[in-house]
Amino acid sequence: MQFLQTLNGLLEHVKTVERETISLTKEAQLRMVRFLDKNGLSVDDETLEAMQYQDIIAQQLSATIEAIESAQEHMQYFIHAFSQDDAIASQSIEKMQGKLTVALERAKERHRAFSGKVHREDDEDGIEFF
Amino acid sequence: MPLVIFVDDSETALASTRMVTDSMPIEVKQYLSAVDALNEIQGGMVPDLIITDMNMPVMNGFEFLQGLRKVPGTARTPVLMLTTETRDELKAQGKALGLTGWVVKPFNPAQLKQAISRVLRLA
Repeated sequence: MQFLQTLNGLLEHVKTVERETISLTKEAQLRMVRFLDKNGLSVDDETLEAMQYQDIIAQQLSATIEAIESAQEHMQYFIHAFSQDDAIASQSIEKMQGKLTVALERAKERHRAFSGKVHREDDEDGIEFF
Repeated sequence: MPLVIFVDDSETALASTRMVTDSMPIEVKQYLSAVDALNEIQGGMVPDLIITDMNMPVMNGFEFLQGLRKVPGTARTPVLMLTTETRDELKAQGKALGLTGWVVKPFNPAQLKQAISRVLRLA
């Protein structure tokens, strides 16, 4: 099970880097806004649209952190089962496979859901009234 | 001036919307939490338009909308969802809950202005 422990450590590292990236992009964005405010400057529409990417980046990375945490949780079940009984471990690895597949599908769905208009060319203005 | 409130757990998203509304003849209040916004509304604040994010911790956009509809002052207040979500089933759910419209991020600033003006019937 050393392999899974190492993989778990790697996933922890990825989460740490993702959280730092969210934090740094947010800080960069807020400093830019403070600079604009302080100097009475404004940006054009194209720039303001691009400035919203930080929010999308943060949501995308947060969703992958959730997916990693879900995978880690299932891995921990397996590690625990493996240490108890070989037969249980054998059943557990099949369950883990199924749950990891579900976690992957959910992560892909959230990637699509949190992309907004970024990858869509079929949506002209993204505003819809009911 | 009409009161427009923005609710989004992202500080940067709120900063972007503020840059859009700065030049508009409206009063703006911003909240990082739907719970805080709803508390103020339950306390008597009556906005003319509410623009809220969908995915927020503690209380999401739909839960916020349902809470708003229970308060007499905002039972019919226009509410726009401003979100990265594009799924049709969510839009349908929002429509059924009484949502006025759906705006996908990243929004086009000129079009968001137009949408606000249209709802508030600004000249």
